[in-house]
Amino acid sequence: MRTIVIGAGFTGVQLARKLLANHHRVVLIDSDAERVRDVGSQLDCAVVHSQGNSLEVLEKAGIASADALVAVAQSDEVNMIACSLADAVYPKVLKIARVRNHVYCNDVDHAARNYAEAFSGTRRPPFGIDRLINPDFEVAAAISRAIVHGAVGGVVELGQGYGIVTVTLGAKSPLNGTPLWRLSSVPGWHFLVAHVETAAGAVLPGGETVLSPGDRLGVLAKEDELSAVAALCDAGPFSTGNGRMAIVGAGSVGSVLVAQHLAGAWADERIPKAARRFEVAVVDESVSRCRAMVERFREVRVFCGDATDETLVREEGLDHFDVVVAASENYERNLVTAAYLKSAGVKKAIALTATSSVARMAMRLGVDVAVPLRGTVVDSIMSHLRGHNVKSVHTVCNGAFEIVECQVAKGSKSVGKALRDVGLPAGAGLVLLLHGADGVSCVPRGDTVMAEGSTVVLIVAAGNNDAVRMVAG
Amino acid sequence: MVNVLVRSLSTVMGLVGTSFLLPVFVAYWYGEWRALTAFVVPMAASWLLAGFFWLRRRGKLRVGGVENAFVIVGSVWIVVSLFGAIPLYACGAFSGFIDALFESVSGFTTTGASVLSDVESLPHCINFWRCQTHWLGGMGVIALAVALIPILGVGGYRLVQAETSGPEKGKLTARISDTAKILWTIYVVLTLIQTCLLHFAGMGWFDAVCHAFSTLGTGGFSTRNASLASFANPAVEWICTAFMLLASVNFGLYYLLVLGKWSEIRDNTELRGFVLVVLAAIGGATVLEASSWATVSDTARAVAFQVASVISTTGFMSQDYLTWKPASQLIVLSLFLIGGCSGSTAGGIKVIRWSVLSKQLRNDILRLLHPHGVFTLRINGIPGKGEVSSFVASFIFVYFALVFVTAFIGACSGLDLFTAFTASLSMVGNVGPAFGSLGPTANYGGLSPALKLWYCFAMLAGRLEVYTLLILVGSSLRRKNDA
Repeated sequence: MRTIVIGAGFTGVQLARKLLANHHRVVLIDSDAERVRDVGSQLDCAVVHSQGNSLEVLEKAGIASADALVAVAQSDEVNMIACSLADAVYPKVLKIARVRNHVYCNDVDHAARNYAEAFSGTRRPPFGIDRLINPDFEVAAAISRAIVHGAVGGVVELGQGYGIVTVTLGAKSPLNGTPLWRLSSVPGWHFLVAHVETAAGAVLPGGETVLSPGDRLGVLAKEDELSAVAALCDAGPFSTGNGRMAIVGAGSVGSVLVAQHLAGAWADERIPKAARRFEVAVVDESVSRCRAMVERFREVRVFCGDATDETLVREEGLDHFDVVVAASENYERNLVTAAYLKSAGVKKAIALTATSSVARMAMRLGVDVAVPLRGTVVDSIMSHLRGHNVKSVHTVCNGAFEIVECQVAKGSKSVGKALRDVGLPAGAGLVLLLHGADGVSCVPRGDTVMAEGSTVVLIVAAGNNDAVRMVAG
Repeated sequence: MVNVLVRSLSTVMGLVGTSFLLPVFVAYWYGEWRALTAFVVPMAASWLLAGFFWLRRRGKLRVGGVENAFVIVGSVWIVVSLFGAIPLYACGAFSGFIDALFESVSGFTTTGASVLSDVESLPHCINFWRCQTHWLGGMGVIALAVALIPILGVGGYRLVQAETSGPEKGKLTARISDTAKILWTIYVVLTLIQTCLLHFAGMGWFDAVCHAFSTLGTGGFSTRNASLASFANPAVEWICTAFMLLASVNFGLYYLLVLGKWSEIRDNTELRGFVLVVLAAIGGATVLEASSWATVSDTARAVAFQVASVISTTGFMSQDYLTWKPASQLIVLSLFLIGGCSGSTAGGIKVIRWSVLSKQLRNDILRLLHPHGVFTLRINGIPGKGEVSSFVASFIFVYFALVFVTAFIGACSGLDLFTAFTASLSMVGNVGPAFGSLGPTANYGGLSPALKLWYCFAMLAGRLEVYTLLILVGSSLRRKNDA
């Protein structure tokens, strides 16, 4: 695939790096000369020094033959105009734009919902943007996913009720000291371990891998079995909602989180809505933000003050909350807030961090889940750029592995072979046959046959796209 | 200023004078020639006056400053009340002009307290006019003038605002004359519906029109001595109960209903409070009174009628509530303090003010429990209305100050304590009947002239929500000092 990326900031470069690893041909465009020089020496791709919102520049960068245009420049307007311009001449190119301003996003959302007919078929979406990425929405969604599944860890939802949940092995777990091939002898355990993160690093487990306390496991399980997994791993209490959640930071991510929560966006149909409703409280230091919050959401309790202030924590009982999400714009502060409240007695603490490397540090401080802002944005852009057969991509183990959901392609070498004969490259594994030829989903075994058109879930080392291409073509 | 004042006064007087055409028609129909002249002469005079000032200076009327608007509205109401008393006095049914004035003020302010013990002997046209003053005063003579007369369009917004009740005065439409037209249209339509219903329930057309005027204006004058009790007709009582309640709801809500904005009606804070109070009062009093009546449906009808009559500040009577149990009397008395909704034809403190205060109370308690908490006050689902609660608090202070002064003056002129207090609540709240010696079967005829004059002031002050008359008095005192 050929992809043009406008904006060589952190997100643009990360994205280019991933795309290059996936054998895309990438052209980066940035208006900052120094940045262009810098990035040009780091990455094996063309870097153009120019404004992105010019059709001439885009044509020079090869938009005519490109498959996708990703606009992640600093300015929303540049991103939107670049897509809009390119769309007027090259409507076939897939356009993805990062738009931070909520008003623009809501406008597009409103148009798409209320004028669905006008924007369907051959008619192009507003501004010609096929996928609009708002960092706040993406991050809030990632946090929501973590909360819904009891804040045990990040949960990757795979459909058909399956998910891969990340849990930390407790000291009392019966799994400790057992090699993986003997795990089925542990009473009640019939789950697949997808990935293991030890102090030494993240690995795709083999039969000889031995688990020890403190390891973080990625376990494939049905969603209704998640609490059984947590119990066997001794991962601490597993609440399914109906508790109290405090969101520290009434900024954009905080308000999107509240909105998502109140709208029941993450409600699971099988569990009664009332049972999973969190009672939400918001803490922020700014009076005007607090006021805006309380005026916008009537069900939310808002406290004005510093969440790490002992008096406030005691008076408002923050230490007895079930979940605390530190989601302010000050990412370093989020770490401190989440770690402090966790030590004060909060059951689960979640922190929004800037990057994956800080997220790793957060875990060491006792934070249960750290959601990296930039990583989440890159992930969600990547999930739209994997070709038709790739349905979704999630990053786990702080970026060490990717969980890829894809369809077995027509001309793929793997079609018709049993799994053991396919010969997936090293550093890749097939986790789940999500939608087999017979319509049944199952955890695959050696003799499972790969049928054309069936959906499978792979786990691969980050950047290693060979396995995915072998299956999805 | 004087020029603007005179022109607006003459315009509104011309309009009210023109409305004499209705009682003139009634007088002609029933052949009441003496009463007919009592209407025709002031009508002609008002036309001459309005015509003179209109010819002298044409063009749009510019109200000018905010204070002017209050002065104009206050003066208009005083002058219109005086003007409306002329035919009452001229027909000879009243013993003096002060009695006629009391009746007229009581009519325009939709109080419905009468000085007469025998209204059945009055000419038909006089009874018609008494009920018509309710109807004109209910929705507001200035709103009617702004709706009908284009020269009041400029600055009319301020005038109508000073006349409308409630702490928050919204605009239904961009232009105030359109708003006034819409409100008056709704008012006329409701009146026509009630007239027809009353007629089909067995009333004559004359009585049906008079009682519809009286109900929709939430006034309380009747063409019978025993008020609605004299009809002894359950259907009539139910119809009046329904329309008294309808008239004490904000008329803007009917416009929303026509526009189909259901969610806004559902979220209306005041309507919720009103429905709650009405249901609670009816339920409570029905349970208390159930033992003294033959059937539950009789009890419910009598109680619902009386609750509607008092909370809408109408003051119709189907039962003498002084014969009820003390606890149920107390429920009725508490409704004197509440009143109808803002933007309706009802008087009183208004439900919205109590809603605001109760929400403020809730926030204050929450603030005690959560020292770091941030709270907001919502009215109709709209947040950030915190400052309204301080306006409301000061209004209630002024309101009760007026009530106590009025009660004091009543006590000075020989009323007993309870009568003086409840009569004062009744006058300022524009209800009509009170408790004690001024109960629903009594009348205000025996009071001293000075007390009647003060009650006139209290009724006008209550109708214009105190501030307008306070500003009028303050402004004229200041002018005097300047001069």
